[in-house]
Amino acid sequence: MKVLIVDKTKCTGCHQCELWCGTEISSVSKELARAINEEPQPVPRVYVEGKQFALQCRHCENAPCLEACPNGTMRRDPETGLVYVNEPTCIACWMCVMVCPFGIINPSATMKVAIKCDRCRNMGNPICAEVCPTQALRLEERKDYHKKAF
Amino acid sequence: MEFIQKKTADHAIEYFLLKAAEEGISLVWDRFEGQLPECGFCETGLSCRDCLQGPCISHPFRDSNKLGVCGKDKDILASQTLLRLVIKGTVASLDQLSDFTKGVESNKIKLKNKGKTDQLLKESKNLFQNGGVAIKKEFAKSMVQRWEENGILPEGIARDIFKASQKLEGGIAGFEENLLWAFKVSILAGMAQKLQGSLKKSVFGNTSPTTMEVNLGILKKETPNLLLYGSLSPVLKQKIAEAAEKKKVNVAGVCTDPYLPPYHFSPVTNYVSQEIPLMTGAVDLIVAGDQFVNPSLSHLANHYETPIIPAGGLNGEKDLEKLAKEIVEQAKKSFDFRRKIPRDIPEVKESAVMAFSPEDLDLKKMTDGLNKGKIKGIAILSGSNNVKFTQDRELATIAQEFLKNDILCISEGEASISLAKYGFLNPSRNDIELGKGLSDLLRSLGKDLPSVLDLGSSKNGGITDFLLNLAKAGKKEPGNYPVLACFAEASRSTEVAEALWMVAMGIPTYFWPSLPVAGSAKTMEALSHLCQEKFGSKLHVLTDKKMEPRIKANLMIKDLTGERGPRLSGHPWK
Repeated sequence: MKVLIVDKTKCTGCHQCELWCGTEISSVSKELARAINEEPQPVPRVYVEGKQFALQCRHCENAPCLEACPNGTMRRDPETGLVYVNEPTCIACWMCVMVCPFGIINPSATMKVAIKCDRCRNMGNPICAEVCPTQALRLEERKDYHKKAF
Repeated sequence: MEFIQKKTADHAIEYFLLKAAEEGISLVWDRFEGQLPECGFCETGLSCRDCLQGPCISHPFRDSNKLGVCGKDKDILASQTLLRLVIKGTVASLDQLSDFTKGVESNKIKLKNKGKTDQLLKESKNLFQNGGVAIKKEFAKSMVQRWEENGILPEGIARDIFKASQKLEGGIAGFEENLLWAFKVSILAGMAQKLQGSLKKSVFGNTSPTTMEVNLGILKKETPNLLLYGSLSPVLKQKIAEAAEKKKVNVAGVCTDPYLPPYHFSPVTNYVSQEIPLMTGAVDLIVAGDQFVNPSLSHLANHYETPIIPAGGLNGEKDLEKLAKEIVEQAKKSFDFRRKIPRDIPEVKESAVMAFSPEDLDLKKMTDGLNKGKIKGIAILSGSNNVKFTQDRELATIAQEFLKNDILCISEGEASISLAKYGFLNPSRNDIELGKGLSDLLRSLGKDLPSVLDLGSSKNGGITDFLLNLAKAGKKEPGNYPVLACFAEASRSTEVAEALWMVAMGIPTYFWPSLPVAGSAKTMEALSHLCQEKFGSKLHVLTDKKMEPRIKANLMIKDLTGERGPRLSGHPWK
């Protein structure tokens, strides 16, 4: 499957991925100047916190969030292997938030759903990789991914 | 991410774009694409690198970093970003004035009007020390009073610029105060430009409308071509023109004041395409000033073996006459050296009547026309080019729409050159559609007037003089007429300062592209409501990047005619 590589030697911590993720994926207006003033505040799905490293969902092979979800809201797309939240059925129990080893699932208090990166599964390329000025984020095909995992 | 498919409306430039692609030459448009996506924090004014604890941002989507290390919030960050730009832009105008006065004081030039010149030199010193004495009297009393009430009447260049720059260093000034400081600084720029314009008249004599040719076709095949780039000291330009005339060197300009009586420097092209003249291979020497000159020029000049001489340096020649002679001599030598380089000059040029001065125009007829409803309003077209738009398309389309709708267009500086390329400044072009009332008015104003009237370089305060004279002719403040200013493709900080100056004079101003204040709703709001309250006019900053020029024009026409449609400014999120 395709994996999103984060190169920590290239990341400058500029927050552009966060900004564009917030605008393109979670805002209503899809335009930066307007998204800035939106209520509720758009929530980016990628995190640059503390270190110069952009962190988003790793779409784990053995995903604890899938195990923890009580009603099958957390799902895996069988074609692409990407894990996503089926928002209409989310009951906001925050089990996935508790079990995620990377801490990238965000409980949205206003919307009452778990918010998580689905690596822009409906778009050609994830927006964070698209806008990264140093190409620290890039999408790569990994044929040996399965082999290594098991 | 804004990718511009069509780079320019100018066919001559388009021809060279293909050539550049074939030869693998990188131009301004390629570099712009390399920069995409541009930093969203800087674009919306939410970043700061004024101290070494930073750089800081105010994150619009995270609560953990809404404030900078020192505690600047998004409103302060955005208003300070604007203030920083305005200070930079104002200093550019002041630098021009100081270059000019220095040149005049060197006594190397014959003055047309000695008494007036001395008076103006004294006044420019006054402006430096105490914010000017005589110049303040030239503005309407109510205007000066309004500035004084708001505490933004200049108190001297040194004092105001120092104080304003300290607002960036610390203190507890809120966004409204920062904005007022920006206006205070911009008033200095306006005054300096006005002084420079008067000084130019007293030193070189009155300007009268002059016919010149515009675009790449003015480069000569068999004569050395010397190009002046950017703002240079008028005295140096005069000396270069004198020396060049004797040695038969063709002198033209890019982004420089095209008219300096009795000489003129025909504009070869305008700001964004300033590299293109080099690609003709016909440029033998470039004299480069600072403002409006892109550093990329030197790379490309290397490629075409064109020498570049800086107009001033740390240890540069102080004697301008000697420097001018050396420059012209070198242009001739360079022409001989460069004979092997093929010259590919497109036969594209357009005749244009430029440099009207407000005294040449019967402003009484204009105000009568406005009062009787012959014309719907007056639009001031200003600003250079920006790579974020299709070159010249915005300006030309907006001018076209205005003229059709009986709106008198006044232009200045770089905007005039953009318009001149498409024949708007050519009186013999009759394919430009004019509204009935407007064409009647233009005919009554004088014989052979072009459809758009150019008031000379933006550094000479032609627009300021025009507005003040208009106010005198109609005995009303300029802001009380249906007048607006439009910066359709602005890019430089001088233009930002000028836009604020227009607003301070009470002229509603439209500015594109969006200023880096969009990150702060309060600052955006203040630019319309606070300005309306303080100056009676708004600075309209529109954040929509995909707005078509025709829609922009209609928006402005509605503003002029008083039909208040849905307003985007101030509420970009609604």
